[in-house]
Amino acid sequence: MHISEGVLSAPVLVTGAALTAAGCGFGLKKLDYDRVPQVAILTSAFFVASLIHVPIGPSSVHLVLNGLMGLLLGWSAFPAILIALFLQALLFQFGGITTLGVNAFNMAFPAIICFYLFAYAVKVRNNLISMGAAFVCGFLGILLASLMVAICLVFTGNPFIGIAKLVVIAHLPVMIIEGLITLFSAGFLKKLKPELLEVVHAKR
Amino acid sequence: MPKDSPLKKGWLSRATWPSVIFLMLVIFVSASYTFAHRVVLFAYVEGDKVFTESYFSDGKRCHNSRIEVFDSFGKKLLEGKTNKDGEFSFKPPKRTDLKIVLTAGMGHRDEYTIPAGELPGEGNIGKPDPRQPEKMVSLKEPNGEKPTPTSQFNRVEIEQIRLVVEEALDEKLKPIMRLLVKRQNEGVSFIQVMGGIGFIFGIMGIILYFRSRRGK
Repeated sequence: MHISEGVLSAPVLVTGAALTAAGCGFGLKKLDYDRVPQVAILTSAFFVASLIHVPIGPSSVHLVLNGLMGLLLGWSAFPAILIALFLQALLFQFGGITTLGVNAFNMAFPAIICFYLFAYAVKVRNNLISMGAAFVCGFLGILLASLMVAICLVFTGNPFIGIAKLVVIAHLPVMIIEGLITLFSAGFLKKLKPELLEVVHAKR
Repeated sequence: MPKDSPLKKGWLSRATWPSVIFLMLVIFVSASYTFAHRVVLFAYVEGDKVFTESYFSDGKRCHNSRIEVFDSFGKKLLEGKTNKDGEFSFKPPKRTDLKIVLTAGMGHRDEYTIPAGELPGEGNIGKPDPRQPEKMVSLKEPNGEKPTPTSQFNRVEIEQIRLVVEEALDEKLKPIMRLLVKRQNEGVSFIQVMGGIGFIFGIMGIILYFRSRRGK
């Protein structure tokens, strides 16, 4: 999921950085400062999750948790993912500093989409709908992120269909696992702390 | 700060406990799976060949991945694919700084540079450098006399000794090379993980600090 340094050309890197900057600016504007501790905890979870390697499938893949981030944080997921990716690049050498913008956008944009698609459905009283929505949320987070990676790699001269197939198939096990993680997290929170599922964007 | 602010006492523990438990779980799991995710390329010279090993940092070998070799001017010298153990070896076509680039698909890439000095002498690869024998002779003949047959003989002998020593050294250094590769492979340490988490909470502290000052 993390694109290494030296793979992408400058225009792609600059576009990614600009989009991430815009997303983070909007995310910070929307951030409800009383929720900062929650954002920090989920940032840590995202930071650590990439160390959990999924040993199934042809390539080396790991958890991302961007669906869950979007579901619980809304727009705040943007700055949260940027900080976590910065630390991953610094401490684990995942991705890189120059590709930070592109990588952050690739993971945070699907998180926002997931938020708009599922944040309401997960809170529905009907458990079947709510849990189904949570699973699809986790699944779609990775699927969209894989497609974003594929789109970026198209600019390096790869045909889209081929690279997309490769990335999506490699991440299929992660999609299912993240669907389940999101399902259980959402189920757990809904039962015990339903107020955490209410993403509160600052009213300003 | 208004009275009904959720930041009042007890909010932290009440609302964030599930996340704390979840985070603990994640840390616990990751402690037993301290795997990292990137590709690592490692290359070394043995005899007259350059050997490369490539793997994902969880230890999985990158098989069938593309390896490209560039010279110091960025001109591509050769390319190839790794075998199923992630290995690829080649004879350097000329003596120059070799930049070896691994592309392992899905945006994974790593590079490794072997300086020209580590490559085998010109005698072993390609056409011999005419300057080198002269230099060796002049070393033997510091007073600048014309090379005598004895010095010629010495030169051949030295050449042979050099080869034998190199071979023996390669053999002896093999386990150390393997150890180095393994070390590089060990991935992320607990300290790095805790450091990152501490960093994130530090940022949180700073934000909350300025927030609370502004509220007063």
